[in-house]
Amino acid sequence: MTGTAGTVGETASVFLQSGSGQGATEGAPLADTVGRLLGFGSNMGPGETLIAAFIGAFFIGNLMLAMTGVAGPWAKRKITAAFTDRIAVNRVGPFGLLIIVADAVRLLSKELVVPDGVDRPAWDIAPILMAGSALLGFAVIPMGNGIQLADPETGLVYVFAVSSLASLGLVAAGYASNNKYSLLGGLRSIAQNIAYEIPLVITAASVVIFAGTLQLSGIVAAQTEPLVTILGVSIPAWYAFVNPFAFVLFMAANLAEVGRNPFDIPEAPTEIVAGYQTEYSSVYFVLMYLGEFLHIFLGGAIIATLFLGGPAGPVLPGIVWFIIKIWAVFLFTQWMRSAIPRVRIDQLIEIGWKGMLVLSFANLVLTAVIVGLIA
Amino acid sequence: MSLEDPQDQRGAQDRELVGVTEEGVDYDALEDLLGEKVIGRESHVNAEAFVIRPDEVQDTLFALRDEAGFDHCSCLTAQEYEDRYESIYHLKKYDDPTQEVGVVVPTSKRAPRSQTAEPVYRTADWHEREAYDLIGIDYDEHPDLRRILLPETWQGHPMGMDYNQDQPQVVTFESHTNPLAEDHKGEESDTMFINIGPHHPATHGVLHLKTVLDGEQVADVKPDIGYLHRCEEQMAQQGKYRKEIMPYPDRWDYSSAGILNEWAYARAAEDLADIDVPEYAQVVRTMSAELSRMAGHMLAVGTFALDVYGDFTAIFQYAFRDREKILNLLEDLTGQRLMFNYLRLGGLAWDLPEPREEYFDTVRDFLDELPQNVEEYHDLISSNEIFQIRCVDTGVLEPDVAKSYGATGPVARGSGIDYDLRRDDPYGYYPELDWDVITEDGCDNYARVLCRLQEVEQSARIIEQCVDLLEDWPEEDREIQSNVPRTLRPDEDAEIYRAVEAAKGELGIYIRSDGTDKPARFKIRSPCFSNLQTLPELSEGEYIPDLVASLGSLDIILGEVDR
Amino acid sequence: MSSQERSADTEAAVQSTQEDRMQGADDRFNSKLREAFGSSPFILTKFDQFMNWVRGSSMFMLQFGIACCSIEMMATYAIKHDLDRFGAGIPRASPRQADVIIVPGTIVSKFAPRMKRVYDQMPEPKFVVSMGSCTISGGPFQKGYNVVKGAEEVIPCDIHVPGCPPRPEALIYGVAKLQERIANGESSPVTVKPYELKQFGDLEQDELVDHLAQDIDEETLVMRYNWADSP
Ligand code: SF4
Repeated sequence: MTGTAGTVGETASVFLQSGSGQGATEGAPLADTVGRLLGFGSNMGPGETLIAAFIGAFFIGNLMLAMTGVAGPWAKRKITAAFTDRIAVNRVGPFGLLIIVADAVRLLSKELVVPDGVDRPAWDIAPILMAGSALLGFAVIPMGNGIQLADPETGLVYVFAVSSLASLGLVAAGYASNNKYSLLGGLRSIAQNIAYEIPLVITAASVVIFAGTLQLSGIVAAQTEPLVTILGVSIPAWYAFVNPFAFVLFMAANLAEVGRNPFDIPEAPTEIVAGYQTEYSSVYFVLMYLGEFLHIFLGGAIIATLFLGGPAGPVLPGIVWFIIKIWAVFLFTQWMRSAIPRVRIDQLIEIGWKGMLVLSFANLVLTAVIVGLIA
Repeated sequence: MSLEDPQDQRGAQDRELVGVTEEGVDYDALEDLLGEKVIGRESHVNAEAFVIRPDEVQDTLFALRDEAGFDHCSCLTAQEYEDRYESIYHLKKYDDPTQEVGVVVPTSKRAPRSQTAEPVYRTADWHEREAYDLIGIDYDEHPDLRRILLPETWQGHPMGMDYNQDQPQVVTFESHTNPLAEDHKGEESDTMFINIGPHHPATHGVLHLKTVLDGEQVADVKPDIGYLHRCEEQMAQQGKYRKEIMPYPDRWDYSSAGILNEWAYARAAEDLADIDVPEYAQVVRTMSAELSRMAGHMLAVGTFALDVYGDFTAIFQYAFRDREKILNLLEDLTGQRLMFNYLRLGGLAWDLPEPREEYFDTVRDFLDELPQNVEEYHDLISSNEIFQIRCVDTGVLEPDVAKSYGATGPVARGSGIDYDLRRDDPYGYYPELDWDVITEDGCDNYARVLCRLQEVEQSARIIEQCVDLLEDWPEEDREIQSNVPRTLRPDEDAEIYRAVEAAKGELGIYIRSDGTDKPARFKIRSPCFSNLQTLPELSEGEYIPDLVASLGSLDIILGEVDR
Repeated sequence: MSSQERSADTEAAVQSTQEDRMQGADDRFNSKLREAFGSSPFILTKFDQFMNWVRGSSMFMLQFGIACCSIEMMATYAIKHDLDRFGAGIPRASPRQADVIIVPGTIVSKFAPRMKRVYDQMPEPKFVVSMGSCTISGGPFQKGYNVVKGAEEVIPCDIHVPGCPPRPEALIYGVAKLQERIANGESSPVTVKPYELKQFGDLEQDELVDHLAQDIDEETLVMRYNWADSP
């Protein structure tokens, strides 16, 4: 495989075909595609690269923000309502869809209360960090139809690295808010993230062993071969099928990572009010809220890429499949939220360190042995 | 005092010994037991009462508890007369609540001081604080005699005789700027003080928990109540017996358990004024009361799920869905969803709604669906493993401790105390019906929730039988109201303490009549008030989430705690 | 104080409170732009309309329960009545993120200052729905020694929903009405937090202060629990 790991837009070589298999121009990072569309030619200078990269990033960022926009104010309510036999928003616009506009504008236009004694600038940076870190992660996710901003060789590591920046935001928010509930929330979230990040990464490592690469497009490509063919329907070698155990582990760890039931203790509304976000209002609250959903979607994106064949799927274009998969994961988190009680902090830590960690190592070793034997 | 007092252990035999006869309590034997301490004897409508000197309270109560087996201090009533203050301890037995005795402690007008009963019954702690707060009696040796229902800055004792309500309460700026701002940073201590409430999603209303945390663990928790003290007793004392008091009970335990509360007042007032209730009305009362209990328990289960699950999730919503059905039934019956005002002294406001058949059908439909719904709760809650690791063995309340705090209702029954006034101190139509008292031995949060869920099923059984009875009731016999004089004037100086089994436990009413058409003293013994007192026992050393869960499992309704 | 005097006194106090609240037009929704431009050019009018629509269509409620009415309030959020249909069904636990506070129940002297605090913690623009007769006048407990005679004593209310308790339908109607008023730009004319600025002002005409003026340093007077004589 050729290609240089580099900054966004600099990688210009031929990459493995991304999983969708639709259309021939795909496979190059998005910036190049954009550049071609703009007529910059195949050898772009730094300025052109920059412009193209910005446009690409703008596109992906907005796609994700739009998705969270739909998810946060509208879909979340509708899904929860469906679980609880209600209807939820249906007065504002068709199906209540305009609530998205209303909610967003209203929250943005509210008074930004800066409580006495907050520790600025940490207090201001935290929400930005939380929303930003998740957005950064999307840069390397192959979304099908050639939509991938960059494809560094260490893509997987990069994703985990940026997404765990959010922990920093959480703890900063908790500490800087000058509120004891926030502090408790911050501490809880740091304990939780550390405890679950490790199983998460280790489980991902087992996928890497299968795929033999850290490059996300490589992992996706590795999942395209059919695993078995039953009655003419070939089941692709998605790692969810190849190694369901790792898939389940990863799903569980991901729930903790994004702080959803049964692991939603950093927010735990009935215990510590709203945890780290207790003191945030207006724009900062929007950022935190966005960050939360972006993280769920990023988690979904990682799961889709690692276990569900990325953008692969029949008939529909890759990007659509990719979005469907992300939403499926989102739906799953909402389902958990509606149906599962939350565990206690000590139980959470116990499950993390004594259960998940051991299991994920077992999974890693097992995978290594199996792969070693087969290869 | 240790709860594992050897005397207490050996009690079982002793209890039989003093003052127990076939017919109930032998008060002469009790008087002999107390000997010199008794300086007088009063006879209340419910039981005899001994008058004792204010410095012999503990000796008397110890004797009654250990020698005569009165292990349940259900209530303390304090009141002011023209010439004296008086505290009345209403004692009962958990084994047989029909065995009652009162202990009357008069104190002088000038210096109302009386010995505390706190070492004997832990529950006396709050009860005495309340008496101090509202009436102004000082209890010597009380561990923590502060105001409990009114703000610290309050001037005067509002239930006293010379209290002038129009006197403005003046609070200086200093004492008010930020009532919570106190800095609790201790020297070299690693603990953190945190105020949970008065406005907090977990407190089910306006309760304030002064909590000291050691990390995530609860080192100390002090419930601070009074944020919903609505002067219920004063309101009742200003109302005429016949009609003006009845609306208020609905607002004590407002978890739609209103009819049970109304019954508490009705029972006390009927016994006081010697009013009979027609049998038909008793059946309807029983049925509507059990509907109320179900609605109350549904709410309890729903909000407990809210505490453990963390959001307005499915179980909360399902509980409300089922509650709505019950409320519809109650609304058809009484005309209101929450504040029923359905019982009347001597009967009911009106008969069942017409057409009766239709009403019975809807009730039956509801009852038919119920087992399935309860099954759903069991699926969603009690058989969920995460729920179990959260609730089993957390918030443990040992039976001895529960008794000493005067816990009743599902809280007591969840600790294995077989105490249910519907059976043990029969009233209404309960003795005629076939149903069981639920007890669970787990003593933990889980047991209390299970207890409630099963009680819902038992209530359904009762209702079913009531419906059958009502359906076959001959038309000419449907008497809903007995003869009650237009203005009720119970005998002067008649005193009564009567309790019923409300949704949260023993809801007792003390009424003293002064011969007018309004009560001279109206005291409410609220089950939640006593149950809430156990919270520190439940949660010290546990984690915050367990504190919240324990609070939820106690199922307190602040309207009833603060009254 | 004779009843004659009292009513006169009360009236004066009411007036003054109203005047305080009425200072000029309701500029709660005013944007800086609008202030700069003076009267309303077309685009700003449209913008204002849009903002009003936004605020009227979606609101976060504060998860806030006091007394019996809160049970009905929960029922309003829950299955059958589903307040969320109107875009007003998300209870937030933290006041910082809430737009509307529904005051569901009796307010007593111990709780009044705390409720005021919670209200203060909410960011502007904020609205108050007072639910039940208790928050209108003290309801059935009006004569209680400890009961505040209505939420209006403590915080300004936009909508009063009468009833004891109001049925969920009534509360929904109240919320819908509030949304309608906001959408039409006619929320209740409150811009100052009256207790903050004018508490002492109100007290000055008060018999109490007149009477005790010599003894009490006015500066230190903050609140009286005897709400009977207040407006
Ligand atoms: S208005 Fe009625 S129902 Fe509402 S809080 Fe007051 S007494 Fe309770």
